[in-house]
Amino acid sequence: MLAVADDVRRRTLAHLPSALGRMIYLASTRDYNNGLYYHQGLASRYSEAAACEALADCHRESFHELLGTSLEDLVQQLQAYAESSGAITTNFVAAWKELAPYRVAVPVGTDPLAADFVFSNLKVALAIFETRLNPRWPASPE
Amino acid sequence: MIALILYLGVGLGLFVLLYFLARRSHAPVEGSAHQFVEARSSLQTLEQGLLPRDMIARIFDRQDLQYVTTKVPAEIRGLFLAERKRISLSWVRRVRQEVVNLMHFHRAHSRFYVQLSLPTEIRLAFDFAGLLLACRLLEAIFYLRGPYAAPRMVNLTASAAMRLCVESEKSLAFLNAANIDQFRNKTTPGGAVV
Repeated sequence: MLAVADDVRRRTLAHLPSALGRMIYLASTRDYNNGLYYHQGLASRYSEAAACEALADCHRESFHELLGTSLEDLVQQLQAYAESSGAITTNFVAAWKELAPYRVAVPVGTDPLAADFVFSNLKVALAIFETRLNPRWPASPE
Repeated sequence: MIALILYLGVGLGLFVLLYFLARRSHAPVEGSAHQFVEARSSLQTLEQGLLPRDMIARIFDRQDLQYVTTKVPAEIRGLFLAERKRISLSWVRRVRQEVVNLMHFHRAHSRFYVQLSLPTEIRLAFDFAGLLLACRLLEAIFYLRGPYAAPRMVNLTASAAMRLCVESEKSLAFLNAANIDQFRNKTTPGGAVV
């Protein structure tokens, strides 16, 4: 199992520099109908069960990393993630504010307070990011 | 007239008594596993979800406050403070709720399973009462003055809650799988064998 999780970290997650990106990606490998994670490449190299467990482990890990991320870092991660998503930034912000997709991206069994804290930080980070797109406010002094 | 008022008073008193007795019927059956499961779950929530130092440090982190104070427009600052206030209130209310659950367990059950000396019981009672009072005070402080008003009290409350968790762990230790061995091959009067 450790080898599988290591494989996920080395091959797949190495391309995703931020904890936010990793958490969203790993959540997308989860089937919302049964809560199981699936990755074709990993399943063929190991087994479906081992791949599922390793992805779940990495998902929890990335969530905890995000939980420990400062607000300032989170704003930067959000900005980088928005830019890498390929969406028009204003559309990205509008969609995230409206749909709050991060709410379904937390691992199963997460303590409600921890999840709420991350959602709250993302809400504030999104608002800060939005102000940077809006010419009404001057860019913050970095 | 006075007799009528008296009868009405007695009737009302009986009705209130009946109401409380009816409420008691919802209490779990004596000896059921419900209290143990609830106490174990409260302990786990406190130890793993609400009291870890890194979690508390993140919620009350002044670095975030510093960031929004110096680098972010005032409107967002208001949103940030409102969000942190909501989270800190939620934190202290949940700590209080889980401590209340543990206290109920101690009061009703643990003494039947663990030999507690009278001084220990008295000390535990004071610890629980002090902790619940501290939670209420913190709640008032967060509500009135925001989440950053009492960092020292937050740490003291968390440490006190952690100490109570350690005490409660001892009371629930007989539920640990490792301790089941001592009952192995023992039979009950009903003939049940572990």
